[in-house]
Amino acid sequence: MASTDNSLIKVNNLKKHYPVTKGAITKTLVGTVKAIDGISFDINKGETFSLVGESGCGKTTTTKMILMSEPPTDGIVQYEGSDMAEFTTASRKEFKSSVQAVFQDPWSSLNPKMRVRDIIAEPIVTHEKATNNEIQERVNELLGVVGMHPFHAERYPHEFSGGQRQRIAIARALSTRPKLMVLDEPVSALDVSIRAQVLNLLKELQQTYELSYLMIAHNLATVKYMSHQVAVMYLGKIVELGNPKEIFGDPRHPYTRALISAALPSHPRLQRDELVLVGEVPSPIDPPSNCVFRTRCPEPTDDCKNGNIEMGLIEVSPGHWVDQCCANCG
Amino acid sequence: MSEEILLKVENLRTHFHTKTGIVKAVDGIDFELHKGETLGVVGESGSGKSMTAWSILGMVPKPAGRIESGKILYHGEDLVEKSDDEMRAIRGTGICMVMQDPLTSLNPVINIKKQLTETLELEYDEDKPSLLQRAIGLLSSVNIPAPEMRVTSFPHEMSGGMRQRVVGAISISRSPDILIADEPTTSLDVTIQLQYLKLLKDIQEETGVGIIFITHDFGIVAKMCDRVAVMYAGHIIEQADVVELFDNPKHPYTKALLKSVPDLDDDVDMLPTIEGQPPDLANTPSGCVFRDRCPNPSDDCKEGNIEMAMIEVSPGHWVDQCCVNCGEID
Ligand SMILES: Nc1ncnc2c1ncn2[C@@H]1O[C@H](COP(=O)(O)OP(=O)(O)OP(=O)(O)O)[C@@H](O)[C@H]1O
Ligand SMILES: Nc1ncnc2c1ncn2[C@@H]1O[C@H](COP(=O)(O)OP(=O)(O)O)[C@@H](O)[C@H]1O
Ligand code: SF4
Ligand code: SF4
Ligand SMILES: [Mg+2]
Ligand SMILES: [Mg+2]
Repeated sequence: MASTDNSLIKVNNLKKHYPVTKGAITKTLVGTVKAIDGISFDINKGETFSLVGESGCGKTTTTKMILMSEPPTDGIVQYEGSDMAEFTTASRKEFKSSVQAVFQDPWSSLNPKMRVRDIIAEPIVTHEKATNNEIQERVNELLGVVGMHPFHAERYPHEFSGGQRQRIAIARALSTRPKLMVLDEPVSALDVSIRAQVLNLLKELQQTYELSYLMIAHNLATVKYMSHQVAVMYLGKIVELGNPKEIFGDPRHPYTRALISAALPSHPRLQRDELVLVGEVPSPIDPPSNCVFRTRCPEPTDDCKNGNIEMGLIEVSPGHWVDQCCANCG
Repeated sequence: MSEEILLKVENLRTHFHTKTGIVKAVDGIDFELHKGETLGVVGESGSGKSMTAWSILGMVPKPAGRIESGKILYHGEDLVEKSDDEMRAIRGTGICMVMQDPLTSLNPVINIKKQLTETLELEYDEDKPSLLQRAIGLLSSVNIPAPEMRVTSFPHEMSGGMRQRVVGAISISRSPDILIADEPTTSLDVTIQLQYLKLLKDIQEETGVGIIFITHDFGIVAKMCDRVAVMYAGHIIEQADVVELFDNPKHPYTKALLKSVPDLDDDVDMLPTIEGQPPDLANTPSGCVFRDRCPNPSDDCKEGNIEMAMIEVSPGHWVDQCCVNCGEID
């Protein structure tokens, strides 16, 4: 994979397999879920890297590996050039304060019993030594950064609208001056008129603080608006990777094409050609061999059907990677 | 689409009498639904979309909620005047609700056969085997493969897409002439969403059913609807044929909202936003309900010296008159 000097996170051949067991006590192993199965990508400094794909394709699992909330089964994740598996206690601690997450649901992600001040200050208190005055100042500053006021600090989450709560969640995530933020569907629970406010805020913060984002979103137009790089995932694999211009303007993989054709039009006159996929995503316990997409592919070749192909990304134009079988079979 | 009017709503007001005041959930709306037509009701959370639907279905939560005034004309009769029993009968056969979230609308412990035949029993006075035949026919009409086998499945044994089809089958099982689809805010996979939308369209083509599609999403409106009503704070502020609304939005809210949505077919650096948030419906501003957020209110608007009411600016295109009078609209 192309390596750039500008990367903050480097993911190399990452795998996470979960054992599937039967029986509450005996726990007999009956299979393995290949939640992610050999993915590689870089997240550059100051850029947004987005993961798209149907539910269950491994997006959340990928973020868990990068947030170090679970260990990978195989593969390497590097943070600023060092292998995260070899972190010392100190570097692990530093890493934990440099990555933060903002989740989809601003209603449940904030502790209802805490004042906004304490919600925002909590990561600072956990990760740093700061005096009360310093903390108070930081909280006020952060509220300003997300377009809210110091007097909001004394209130509780239920006193705010969804958009305001998401701003509070962002302020909290920013409190430790992170380098990477994981955004898991950051606006899908918000109202339409509020979404643009929050997306623009995220963009401005990215430019001001050179933040990197790892974003997950269903809405492809939002992904296009926010991203510098997009990875299309299917059954634990990346099938296509590139900048949004390439991915959305010149999609090569049949799965990427199908996803785009399922996206809703922006105008009633712009109806897309519908490429409705047959069936559903197969079980990740026993995924199709070779090309994982071949059971749903609208135009598999004989080689594909016979499983005579190996998966692996190749570069079809600068920075645009597509699964090779598909690139080869045309 | 035909000229036949299935439903005519006139000056409907549905309010909630709460401890903190009167919540004007729906505050004087008018619209018609024609046979074979899909009317989109689009608006933000809390704008009154669901309460509009619940008013039509006679399901306004009592005693706090009540229809204060207006008419809902259906086959020449006013539904507002109907008793609970009469409304129950109409909900079964004439006007049905279809949920987008199949998990919450199917009973998880009852198999599909039972769920379908129980509904069919209300419509057809037939013995069990012939009801079962009808159930199988319905499943096959919504493209469930191997319906005679699938009919004995439980909901959890089916994939999300199939469950959605079953919900579709149930909602048309008693041949309603109006379907109300109230989309919850949860984000479905785009591929599954597309399947659901196609299913509704297929049903409509087959039966001529009129559909009221409640949504936050202009993409769904663009894809599905013939006409659109834009709701804001309990009012319909604009209503038009779908192409006309997208080409020629008149109301400042509609214009701003359409611009604030990211577009997969377009590149922008920063999205235009609508500042502020929708008003608290227990405390709506006098005059134009949008005036706190309007980018360009006239002096009359600011002082609340205007009454809300729709006027027709071109055939079939209705906009709130205050806005027309104050010169915001040419
Ligand atoms: N049982 C109730 N008691 C008091 N107010 C209510 C009740 N149910 C709804 N409301 C209020 O009525 C207004 C309209 O609600 P409605 O459910 O119609 O919104 P909606 O447009 O469907 O929103 P969403 O997109 O979030 O579903 C809101 O202000 C809501 O808070
Ligand atoms: N703790 C776990 N144990 C077993 N399987 C899991 C676990 N977490 C995730 N999976 C499975 O791994 C696959 C990928 O899941 P996930 O990363 O959550 O997908 P996404 O976020 O793309 O929807 C799914 O099939 C899911 O059921
Ligand atoms: S490799 Fe073959 S089966 Fe797989 S997506 Fe490409 S064309 Fe389809
Ligand atoms: S009536 Fe006035 S305040 Fe209301 S939307 Fe029109 S211009 Fe704005
Ligand atoms: Mg997930
Ligand atoms: Mg609703």
